[in-house]
Amino acid sequence: MTEFGNLVLSGLTSGAIYAVLAVCLALWFRVANMLNLAAGDFAMIGALGVDLLARVHGWNLALAILAVLVVIALVGFAYDFVVLRIAVDWGRAQEGIVAIFFFTFALSFVLEGIAQQVFGTVVHAAPALWPGNALDLHGLHVQRAGVLVIGFAVVVGIGLALCLRFTLVGKAMAACGENPIGARIVGIDNRRFRRAIFVLTAVLAGVFGILGSPITGFVYNSGAGLGLSGVVAAAFAGFTRPGRAVVAGLSIGLLESFLSGYVNTAYGETLLYGVLAAVMLFRPQLMGLPEVAQ
Amino acid sequence: MVRFPEASPAGGAVALAVSDLSVTYGDFVAVERASFQVAEGECVAIVGPNGNGKSSIAMAVAGLADRRGVVRLFGQVAPARDPMWMVSRGLALVPERRQLFPNLSVLDNIALGCYAWTRSLRTALRSEALSEALEFFPQLRPRLRQKAGTLSGGEQQMVALARGMASRPRVLVIDEPCLGLAEAVARRLYGVLAAMNRQGRTIVLVEENPVRALELSHQVVRVQNGVTVGVEAPPRRDRDPGA
Repeated sequence: MTEFGNLVLSGLTSGAIYAVLAVCLALWFRVANMLNLAAGDFAMIGALGVDLLARVHGWNLALAILAVLVVIALVGFAYDFVVLRIAVDWGRAQEGIVAIFFFTFALSFVLEGIAQQVFGTVVHAAPALWPGNALDLHGLHVQRAGVLVIGFAVVVGIGLALCLRFTLVGKAMAACGENPIGARIVGIDNRRFRRAIFVLTAVLAGVFGILGSPITGFVYNSGAGLGLSGVVAAAFAGFTRPGRAVVAGLSIGLLESFLSGYVNTAYGETLLYGVLAAVMLFRPQLMGLPEVAQ
Repeated sequence: MVRFPEASPAGGAVALAVSDLSVTYGDFVAVERASFQVAEGECVAIVGPNGNGKSSIAMAVAGLADRRGVVRLFGQVAPARDPMWMVSRGLALVPERRQLFPNLSVLDNIALGCYAWTRSLRTALRSEALSEALEFFPQLRPRLRQKAGTLSGGEQQMVALARGMASRPRVLVIDEPCLGLAEAVARRLYGVLAAMNRQGRTIVLVEENPVRALELSHQVVRVQNGVTVGVEAPPRRDRDPGA
C-alpha cells in the first residue's frame, strides 16, 4: 500500500510538471493557434535566474524572484512585439503554421544559447521556497517542492478553465483562436490578447521553474525536454483546454509512475510513450480536439 | 465617379460617409475611388455583379482591409485597418462568410457581440441588446447551448445577425445576407431586416441579387469594376420584402 502511495505521489509530482507546461501551451494555442516551444525555456530561466541572483549574488529571495519574473515578462513582450508582429501581423502567417512553429523553436535556441553563457553548464536549482526534508506521512514520502508544483498546476488549471468558461474576456480569448477575423469583427483586439497571453504563460512557466527546480534541478538546455513533455499533455487536451491539460498532465505522470513501478523501471518512459501513441492512434477522441467547423 | 454634397440625400444626419475609397490586393485594384453616404435611419443597398468590389467596400469600411480614401462615421474620420475603432463607435459588420466561432455555443457567439461595449459576461447576458437580438430570432432559443458550427446555413446567418445586433450598432453593414439560403429563410431574414430598419437602425446591405434589397432600401449604390457608377433612389418602395 505504501509503495502504491509513493508511486501515486511520484506520478502526481512529475505529472504536475507536464501539467503546468501543458497549461501554458494550451492557453497560448487557444488564443494564437501557435505552439510555444519555448515555454520550457522560460521555466529554465526562472529557476536558474533566481539561483544566480539569490545564491550567487546574495539578493533577497523575494526580490530575486520578482526581478527574474519581470525579465521573463519583458523577454516575452519583446519577442511578441518584434518577432511575432513581423511573423504574424505582417502577413507571414499566411505561409502556414510550420513557418510560425520555427519562430518559437528559434526562440528556444536563442534562450538556450544566452542561458549557457549566463548560467553556465552545471545543474542548479532555485532556493526551495518551502525548505526542509521530504514530508513523511505514514510512510509516504512527499517532496515539499512537489506539493507546491501540484498545487500550482491545479490552481492555475482550474483558474484558467473557470476564466475561459465563465467570463466574457475568457470567451474572447477562445474566439481569437477560433477565428481571428471573426474576433476582430466583434471588436476583440486579438493581437493584444496574443501578446498578453504570451507574456502570462511565460511568467507562469517561470514561476513553475522557480517552484519546481528543487525536484530535478535545471541546466541551460532543460527547457526543450520540458516543453516537449508539455506538448504531449497538451495534445490530450486538444491543445486548447487548460483545465483538461492539468488532468492530462497528472494522468500521464501517474501512468508513467505505475509503468516504471509495476512493469519495468528501465523502460517506464518508453512504455509510456508507446501507450500514449497507441491511444492517439486508436482513441483520438480522447485528445478532445475541437470539432471541424462545417 | 460620383461626388456628394455635405448633407445626406435623405436630409438627415450623415451616419456613414465614404469618399474616394480605394482597395488594392497586391497589383489588383478591387475598389477605385468609391464614394457614397448613408443618412441615419436609412437603408442603403450596395449592388453590382459578383467580383466587382462590393464586399471589399464593406470590409474596408469596417476596418478589415487596407484602404485609401476617407471613411467618416458620424462625422469622425475612421482610422484605416482598425475594426475595434469602428465597432466601439457603433458600426457592426455581418460579413459574407459569417465568421462565427464554430466551436463556441450559439449563446457565446451572440454574447461576444456585446464585447464592443462590455467586458462582463453577466452584463452581456442580461442586456437589452442581447434579448432584442434573440427576440428577432426566436428559432435560436432552443439552440443556445449548441455549437454554432453545427447549425444550418440559415441558422448560422441568424447567429451572425444576432451577434451584430448585440453590439448595439448604430450602423449595421450586412454583406450578402441571403447567400446560400433557401428562399423561405431569405424572405424571413429580409423581414427581420425591414423590422430593424423600421426601428430606426441604419443598414447598409451588400447584395449581388438586388431584387429584395431594392424593395427594402431608400438608396441604391451601384458598383461596377470597383467604381461607384451611380447612386439613386430605388424604383419603388411599396412593400415589406419579408411579408
